[in-house]
Amino acid sequence: MKNLFKTEDWWSVWIGLFVFVISLFTLGGVDLLGWGVKTNVWMDINKALGVASKNYVALPGLVSLIMTFLFMLIVTSVGAKFLGLDLRKFAIGFTFIFWIAYACWLLGSWAPIAVNTPADMQKFGLNFSLRLTGESGFIIALLVGLVIGNFFKGFAGYLKEATRPEWYIKTAIVILGAGLGVKAASSTGLATAVLFRGLCAIVEAYLIYWALVYFVSRRVFHFSSEWSAVLASGISVCGVSAAIATGGAIRARPVVPVMVASLVVIFAVVELIILPALAMEFLHTQPMVAGAWMGLAVKTDGAAVASGAITDALIRGRAAAEGINYQEGWMLMAATTTKVFIDMFIGIWAFVLAVIWTTVIDRKAGAAAAGAGEIWNRFPKFVIGYFLTFLVMLVIGLAAPTIMSQLSLASGEADVFRVLFFVLTFFSIGLVSDFRKLWAEGIGKLALVYLVCLFGFILWIGLAISFIFFHGLTPPLM
Amino acid sequence: MAHQMSVEKETAQAQSQAYEPLLPAEKQLIIWSLVIGVVLLGILIVVSYTFFPGSF
Repeated sequence: MKNLFKTEDWWSVWIGLFVFVISLFTLGGVDLLGWGVKTNVWMDINKALGVASKNYVALPGLVSLIMTFLFMLIVTSVGAKFLGLDLRKFAIGFTFIFWIAYACWLLGSWAPIAVNTPADMQKFGLNFSLRLTGESGFIIALLVGLVIGNFFKGFAGYLKEATRPEWYIKTAIVILGAGLGVKAASSTGLATAVLFRGLCAIVEAYLIYWALVYFVSRRVFHFSSEWSAVLASGISVCGVSAAIATGGAIRARPVVPVMVASLVVIFAVVELIILPALAMEFLHTQPMVAGAWMGLAVKTDGAAVASGAITDALIRGRAAAEGINYQEGWMLMAATTTKVFIDMFIGIWAFVLAVIWTTVIDRKAGAAAAGAGEIWNRFPKFVIGYFLTFLVMLVIGLAAPTIMSQLSLASGEADVFRVLFFVLTFFSIGLVSDFRKLWAEGIGKLALVYLVCLFGFILWIGLAISFIFFHGLTPPLM
Repeated sequence: MAHQMSVEKETAQAQSQAYEPLLPAEKQLIIWSLVIGVVLLGILIVVSYTFFPGSF
């Protein structure tokens, strides 16, 4: 029982649940968390900061940001106190880490870096964008962390007490469950046929893709089971979240999921640029196949939805030139639906992997099968927190669909903190990593696995599955 | 920090170490995933075209 308050694993559950429970007050009309900072894509820095809820719209963005920082500092400091850390050093370290990491996140949302749809390019008056999506902030945080960790080692050491990537990762995942629960519940309102066909994504991503990537990584590239499992989830399921959840579930070192997640973000950008153009050229007569393909092939939420939106626009444009006027948004819906189904099962897959790794693969050679107590001791507790937040939101959403907007608000407010814990994770990983050696010895090989699997079979199996389930379906005409 | 440095060294070494053959449990995981995946895919195709002919 004393371990409930003595490990980072449990404290990720407590902090995650604390944020989650506070967000739920919105269901009773009391908005306790809406002051959290929301980072907008920006050209004018004065418009970059907003608040999570319109109930706090009068609050200046900078005040919101400061309140968000203080809130996170306090809740993590409580955990740090129970974990026996040096509170003064932790508070100072956390303060530096938060502000530097947030600056990276803010930079990632700068329009010339983040914007990825023609509509947004027009909105911001841009002729060029790196199209990296707002998630590029993760990469920037990682790079800045690397620079500090490798070239300013004294400063990195000064931040050590608060450099705790595993803790931040797990807390973020507990909060993530709430958002995915709402997604799952709200999706039931979509067209049934598209929904059902979206289910095939689970079969493909979790069973076929995962097993193939794991096999290729282990057998062909000779990676360890630790690297292979995280790589398989990152490439085949849903990029960043899946890599991180799997890393936690199999107790991989934090550097493993973060390196994989970084690759995922980079490759998603490549897919975002190439796939919609390919879809317009070769799938314009099968628009729903094209949409579903984006959801199945592009591995981050932001890039997948952006790909769906671009594909929707490109194919409708081409069809219009031929006198066919499809209604807007159906290809995007196919992309989003398949992606949502993939997202929904991250926790279940993490649970399955946690059990398999705990009981079989990660068992010491010659040791007897782990008993229930040992399984419990080694089981990553944050997975429980994830499931709890996911199921609570799913059950409420299904039982009371009329309050879906409040649920979305609650999960959106909690998501502010999920994103920030993710950013802290990436920055912290950079701080503790000697990436020069990793780049020299490993990341190239990781990228090669990704390249081989993505272009070798993931894209084409995804296309085949999309064709099987969506061919012949066309969006309604205007 | 010393511990973290050693972790990084381990990571680099882990990627360049000799091949660890697939454990029987890993082989089973791969095979069962693929078998269940292919079977479920077949079932989903039948169910999809039978119960959700899907015209918008």
